[in-house]
Amino acid sequence: MTVDDEQDDRNDHIGASLASLRTYDVSQRHAHQLRRRCHTLLQTQPSRTRSIESAITTSFERVLGPALGVAWCLFYLVEISRRAAAAYGLLP
Amino acid sequence: MTLSRLTAWRVMTPMDLEDERVLVARLRAGDTGAFDDVYDAYRPRVFAFLLRMTRSRTLAEDLLNETWLRLVRHAPRLLPDTRIGPWLFTVARNLYWTFRRDSLAREASVPELLTLWPSLTQWPSPFDLAAAGELERRVERALSTLSPQYREAILLVRHEGMSASDAAAVCGITAEAMRQRLSRARADLAEKLRETPAVAALKKGYAT
Repeated sequence: MTVDDEQDDRNDHIGASLASLRTYDVSQRHAHQLRRRCHTLLQTQPSRTRSIESAITTSFERVLGPALGVAWCLFYLVEISRRAAAAYGLLP
Repeated sequence: MTLSRLTAWRVMTPMDLEDERVLVARLRAGDTGAFDDVYDAYRPRVFAFLLRMTRSRTLAEDLLNETWLRLVRHAPRLLPDTRIGPWLFTVARNLYWTFRRDSLAREASVPELLTLWPSLTQWPSPFDLAAAGELERRVERALSTLSPQYREAILLVRHEGMSASDAAAVCGITAEAMRQRLSRARADLAEKLRETPAVAALKKGYAT
């Protein structure tokens, strides 16, 4: 399906009726209670701990994790090539 | 019954990317104002999605609670470029499937969906209700008989206005697989919409 097809689909009547389906919501009381619960939870965590934890997690997910993965793969490849070469007597 | 009806296609995120980055940064810092902005923008949409997936108001409310609590618990660890909308729909969708897999999801009847608690935006006129009621009922009924995989694809892309690749990320499949799923779902939905209640009843009779 191309982008044009997608656009065509969106213009059809089924798409239009789907887009205009009503949006439901929880009762005001329920929404208020949930909001209050979430506020309490948000405020109970000290922000300093939160930012340190966040920085560590972010740097691990973004940099350290992939770097360790790549380093391990490289080491594995080099080591397996070296051993194979040694097994076939290609190394001096 | 109150409705929040949209005349044009919705865009997935009600805010631009830069605003969203700022919002995520504020959420990570524990700003309750930022939470309120996200909560007000997405609560009805996530709830409507869960409601149409579960077809049970009670279950949808429980899963909605858990979705928001997860956002709050996870807020400090959000990546700076997290897109809140897809993130929330991913969590909601995963909660639904976990629940379903555990055989705890109960499929409620379609009439329940039609008598749900309304959102608090504005009251439609009796004329609006009469004109839209029949078509909407048919679409809701047809949607509710789709398989959950097709239903979520249709709801995310056609109703929520997500791109196929965003919806694919939410569902954990490739964009191409999502396009195929959408195409089949759309054909299935069109078929169900063409069916009159009598034909559907006949088919059901033959199947049993």
